[in-house]
Amino acid sequence: MSEAPELTETEAFAAEHALGILGSDERRQAETRMASEPVFAAQVEAWRERLAPMAEAMTEVPAPHALWLRIERSLGANDNTVIERGLRFWRGATAGSLTLAAASIAAAVMLGNRPPVTLTPPPPGQLLDASLVSQSGAPVPLFVAAYDPSRKALIVTSLVTPNNDPAHVHELWVIPADGKPRPLGILQPGKTVAMPMSDKLLPSLAAGSALAVSIEPPGGSPKVDVPTGPITAVGKLAKI
Amino acid sequence: MAVATTPEDLAALMSRVAAGERAALRQLYEATSAKLFAVCLRILSDREESEDVLQEVYVTVWRRADRFDAARASVMTWVSTIARNRAIDRLRARGPMAYADQVEDLEIPDGGVSAEALLVTAGEEGRLHQCLSELDDRTEKVIRTAFFEGVTYEALARRMDTPLGTVKSWVRRGLAKLKGCLSQ
Repeated sequence: MSEAPELTETEAFAAEHALGILGSDERRQAETRMASEPVFAAQVEAWRERLAPMAEAMTEVPAPHALWLRIERSLGANDNTVIERGLRFWRGATAGSLTLAAASIAAAVMLGNRPPVTLTPPPPGQLLDASLVSQSGAPVPLFVAAYDPSRKALIVTSLVTPNNDPAHVHELWVIPADGKPRPLGILQPGKTVAMPMSDKLLPSLAAGSALAVSIEPPGGSPKVDVPTGPITAVGKLAKI
Repeated sequence: MAVATTPEDLAALMSRVAAGERAALRQLYEATSAKLFAVCLRILSDREESEDVLQEVYVTVWRRADRFDAARASVMTWVSTIARNRAIDRLRARGPMAYADQVEDLEIPDGGVSAEALLVTAGEEGRLHQCLSELDDRTEKVIRTAFFEGVTYEALARRMDTPLGTVKSWVRRGLAKLKGCLSQ
């Protein structure tokens, strides 16, 4: 294999990203391109698959037993509730990997394989969800949110890759019919948070209200009721 | 401990994880965590941080299991990619020059494969190692180091006392050869 054709610039970059040799800025650039360029994303994935056997050849190091307990506890905080399932379904749908028909079949199969269960009646209030998509370039879902009336909490998942940028945070706002934004809290990149909603905020959480995320200095917008930074993603709450 | 090991076993586990079965996640953890822990330790050389990453990895797997597409990747690649990405993100937070100095000997076993392991590895795994060993020694070492330690071009260049552009062209040429060899 003395002569190998050179990789195109795009593929070389994809391979470098899969290898993990890029610095922070280029890594971020590669992640952004993956979100918007399917060909590039496919190349990165193909390279990950090519290189993966290296990891598989590594000598295993058993993780401490207590770690599983820790993991299990952190799953508990984001329990596999109706909301979580709703969110998961939603994510599947946006990832384009699951058509509605396929999902129904999958659900039917899943239910068919399970012992009969008594369904508890749904809690009062309305289940809502929203997908917040990027405001520049191609619309890419950056956050998903779901309101769980049984917990009076808004469960928000950030799909943004953590990049350790200490200078900025993502702040979530709800903008109900009156058009006035209300701050809901700070979101951590790549994490899911359950935000308890005060009774004062509850009326704002209705189908048709907008959720928006702005980029703010650490601690959130210095103004009480207005985002000061650019709006990065917007979505509308709708009944599930 | 009977753990799922074949790619088919793991793929079957993933669909149960996606359906919300904790027991399936536990089985996936038992089948894959020792490998992923090794991957994280090698990149971070810090037990505590590696445990944190591992926790994030399985919570991510739990939440995003439905995104796994068996037609596009194997489970092992998918989970080890999540682990490598998380570990590398943490490493990058230490700055671009992390590991620019040769790291002192780590307790972690070397990622290089032993001769006997090479004999027993078959299929894709054996093939990649075969193709890597056909590269010149320096290129093979640079590519392996980049993969296992998650270091940047900048850090590698400093470590090898070689211009960055040179290291970059070694790697890119090496990757092109690797692709050619793997496609044969």
